[in-house]
Amino acid sequence: MPLLEMMGICKKFPGVTALDDVCLTLDSGEVLALLGENGAGKSTLVKILSGVYTMDKGQIKINGDIVDIRNVWDAMKLGIGIIHQELNLIPDLTVYENIFLGREKRDSVTKRIDKSYLKQESKKLLNRLGVDIDVERIVKTLSVAEQQMVEIAKVLSMDCRIIIMDEPTDALTTDEVQNLFKIIQALKCEGKGIILISHKIEEIMEIADRVEVLRDGKYIGTKVVAETSTDELIKMMVGRELKEKFPKVKVPVSDVVLEVRNLSVSGLLHDISFELRKGEVLGIAGLVGAGRTELGKTLFGVYRYSGEIFIQGKKLNLTSTSAAIEAGIVYLTEDRKEEGLFLDKSVSYNMTLTILKAFTRLLGKVDTRKETRTVSDYVQRLRIKTPSISQTVENLSGGNQQKVLVGKWLMTQPKIMILDEPTRGIDVGAKVEIYNLINELKENGIAIIMISSELPEILGISDRVLVMHEGKITGCLEDSEATQEKIMRYAISTGGLDGEGN
Amino acid sequence: MERKSVKRVLGVLVSLFLVAVLVVGCTGGTTPEEGQQEKKIGIVISTLDNPFFVTLRDGAQQKADELGYELIVLDSQNDSSKEYSNVQDVLQQGISLLLINPVDSDAVANAVKLANDANIPVITLDRGANGGEVVTHIASDNVAGGKMAGEYIVQQLGGKGKVVQLEGIPGASSARDRGKGFMEAIEGTEIDLVASQPADFDRTKGMTVMQNILQAQPEIDAIFAQNDEMALGAIQAIESAGRQGIMVVGFDAIDDALQAIKDGKMAATVAQQPDRIGSLGVEYADKVLKGEEVPTYIPVDLKLITKDNVDTLD
Amino acid sequence: MVKETKKRDWSVFLRGMQSVIGLLGLCIVLSILSPRFLKWGNILNVLTQTSLNAVMAIGMTFVILTGGIDLSVGSVLAFSGMVTAGMIHSGLNVWIAILIGLVIGTVLGLVNGLSVTKGNVPPFIATLAMMTMARGATLVYSGGRPKSNLGTAFGFLGQGKILSIPVPVIILFVVFIIAYNVLTQTATGRYIYATGSNEKAAKLSGIKTDYIKLLVYAVSGFTAALTGMIVTSMLDSASPNAGNGAELDAIAAVVLGGTSLSGGQGSVVGTIIGGLIIGVLNNGLNLLNVSSYYQQLIKGIVILVAVLIDRRKR
Repeated sequence: MPLLEMMGICKKFPGVTALDDVCLTLDSGEVLALLGENGAGKSTLVKILSGVYTMDKGQIKINGDIVDIRNVWDAMKLGIGIIHQELNLIPDLTVYENIFLGREKRDSVTKRIDKSYLKQESKKLLNRLGVDIDVERIVKTLSVAEQQMVEIAKVLSMDCRIIIMDEPTDALTTDEVQNLFKIIQALKCEGKGIILISHKIEEIMEIADRVEVLRDGKYIGTKVVAETSTDELIKMMVGRELKEKFPKVKVPVSDVVLEVRNLSVSGLLHDISFELRKGEVLGIAGLVGAGRTELGKTLFGVYRYSGEIFIQGKKLNLTSTSAAIEAGIVYLTEDRKEEGLFLDKSVSYNMTLTILKAFTRLLGKVDTRKETRTVSDYVQRLRIKTPSISQTVENLSGGNQQKVLVGKWLMTQPKIMILDEPTRGIDVGAKVEIYNLINELKENGIAIIMISSELPEILGISDRVLVMHEGKITGCLEDSEATQEKIMRYAISTGGLDGEGN
Repeated sequence: MERKSVKRVLGVLVSLFLVAVLVVGCTGGTTPEEGQQEKKIGIVISTLDNPFFVTLRDGAQQKADELGYELIVLDSQNDSSKEYSNVQDVLQQGISLLLINPVDSDAVANAVKLANDANIPVITLDRGANGGEVVTHIASDNVAGGKMAGEYIVQQLGGKGKVVQLEGIPGASSARDRGKGFMEAIEGTEIDLVASQPADFDRTKGMTVMQNILQAQPEIDAIFAQNDEMALGAIQAIESAGRQGIMVVGFDAIDDALQAIKDGKMAATVAQQPDRIGSLGVEYADKVLKGEEVPTYIPVDLKLITKDNVDTLD
Repeated sequence: MVKETKKRDWSVFLRGMQSVIGLLGLCIVLSILSPRFLKWGNILNVLTQTSLNAVMAIGMTFVILTGGIDLSVGSVLAFSGMVTAGMIHSGLNVWIAILIGLVIGTVLGLVNGLSVTKGNVPPFIATLAMMTMARGATLVYSGGRPKSNLGTAFGFLGQGKILSIPVPVIILFVVFIIAYNVLTQTATGRYIYATGSNEKAAKLSGIKTDYIKLLVYAVSGFTAALTGMIVTSMLDSASPNAGNGAELDAIAAVVLGGTSLSGGQGSVVGTIIGGLIIGVLNNGLNLLNVSSYYQQLIKGIVILVAVLIDRRKR
């Protein structure tokens, strides 16, 4: 008898059918991967299982018994634990307080929280995971990977039978991913059932036992990992074969567009110098926390800096983001929802916000007809899938949301685009579209800086790679000489010394 | 989607119905058919969350019932602009005369003019109006009351000592007048006013302000509070500080204060007769409507209540 | 695809109409319960009364759309009204006096904005402090006494009529038209929504969010001062206690109009409707002779029910 069975699950949201007759089975001691493009319904399915959403139709059985999951508490009581993509910890509390939040053990007489017991138990849980985190640290001072470990410890403390992980590796570096996999293996041996949501096929091939593929809210099929191939899974996922994962176009490079000399930001960046030429994609690699995003944001006028920045030979004084935009530098954020989109506003609103001045007529009135024309034009050129330009962006898939943001920045007619993790949280099919878009921009003479944590992407798309470590540039590689190993060596230590990690 | 919209509209309607039911429920019977026959008098009162004005209203209501008038009561919540719209509203209701207890004597002038324009006679209660035409003003004299309290303190202390004053809401006319009368009484004596601070006619503030004053002043012989609420707050502060021999005089003669006088915690209070102000208001309204001549000022007696005469009250 | 957009428009339309339906329903219920409700004179009363709250609520809408709040409007109203009255007393030209009052309100708003942006003080705290400061300043400047008898030229603002429409109503209309156009038609309007919807994203889109915030607090200060002018003119008196608690009525109007307190969503059309609902309710309950105690209870219920419906629809 399977540990978990979900049958005929249906769920509708206003305007979209998120799940249509989807099923799922999971055994004890098994890792089941849920694979699908963004918007395929993976997250909705597990949110139903964990009580965040209620299903419209369908049945859930645990150990053969029909269960009724109406809210998160029901799910918890049934031993279902979920680690959300956006971690759900309270940033200002300590590790042990977070692990036992809402389930604190109290002294039977005084009713005071038994802190020493909680600390001790937390330590035990973290030891079981093989990680060494001080349980009294405040959660916001931890790295993303460490926070994830705390989440896992929290789920373990609830003695869950079923553990769901929603895109757990997205914010992790390669080493951290390996560590996480070790933990998943250990949990598997303890007899837990694990559901892993991911769109990284390589990782699924490495860790999962079976893969279930969803597409457009429908169940497509389930494969045993050992008996399938990456190509087959991609085909199931996108409904077509992808010709090329990393389409690269070579454009003859010409003049230097951007020159950075001795750029420093106190506590974040140290003495950074490089050049960027028209028609090239400069990849920036490094571990999380290496200062890549900070470099991108500094060039966008977010931080105060010392040093010099030249654009086409002219020295810039980047005191604000609007100054950067005016100079022709734009920055596509790594965090679409928090820093990029106005989720409750329309496609049109999101795209034109930065260039409204171009549409204003007498008395500052916005010429909405001209605006509509421009937006429709970009929506078509970027192949953004949306029912209308007045659709709120909240309802678009991740890939289309990203395109909305790309369109927004293209409208400013930039000379330099800084793309921070441009394909994060985007499905395989849409990734290729973004890559093609990057190539198109390159051909149109826009210089591109691409920050990415995915090494294959860096290698596949960049013409040149800068590697950062602790706020410094530790290596610069032409694409002909760049390999994953070389990049990792620069990313871990300074210069060409052998890192311990390799 | 459309079904949802229908649901929303239904929700709105249901809630409106609820409000309607509430409204009808609350008004239940106050607009009877025969009301058309009765003459209506409007009374706009500065505030109804103070027992003094509630008593004033009760006095007026009683008299109105007795004389067969319908009394429309509106509450200005101590806000002059609210008072202005109340007058606008009450004039819509076909009243024959307006009784008004102003929030502020100056700011009420334009509201009185509204009634003048509508040819509705106006009688002011407790506080006067510095503008517009008023048939008569019925009030107890706050300046005289303040003076009465001051003179009592002077006499009890033998014309010498350290005195504290707790003031009402800064800017309120009753606070101004009572303070003025009190200052007149102690002027020229050897009474030393060591502190005078506002406590907004509020018992809690009366207590906290007094606590601070007690900290600052090692020697206090008497306190004049511009109303009883503050006086009672001050007594609490004095008791918890364990200080002895401080005489407290209040104003308004509310029930708690009378009890405090009986218990010997408070020395005296100045009694106004709010119910009398209210009933006189309706009585003179009746006279005005019957075409009788009335004097332009009708004083209502004030009375100093001490341990000696507290039991004779009621 | 075309079909779907049409359907959406319909539901969006209904959603926008919800508060209008509520208002109309309320009017129908009231006109059934009181024959006087629909009289022209009373309708003008309602509009005049509403204009006081609504002008201020429009400014408040700007602030709330950015995710802020302005608790100081009641006190700013009092201070600017008092200063203008003082200037008129000192013999200054009425229009210059009004201009000074308006500038003072705007400057106080700017100070709020500076505390919020440069000082990084949460809006609630910054404007709470301003609320207390401006009230204090009013009492200091006036010595706690009202300033009255401001002359007929000044009286025009609150009591005058143009083509038999009261001036305050015309002022409200003008303010509304300007605010509506700024918010829906201009780039600045979009920046205001953007700041409230996602401040980080707005900053990274090159929008000077600090400037936008300064602007909205200045607008709120300005509309508060403008209301101060109207109230002072209407009562022909600047009272140091004017506008006490007015901020809560303004916030209630904004919230009743469906504007989200977390910012980014809402409209001044909603605010006007919200203001009218409060105004109609005040007036109607007065006409129905509902006791002031019940009035507050009912108003509270209406606000709660309206917001609950609004919540449900999101």
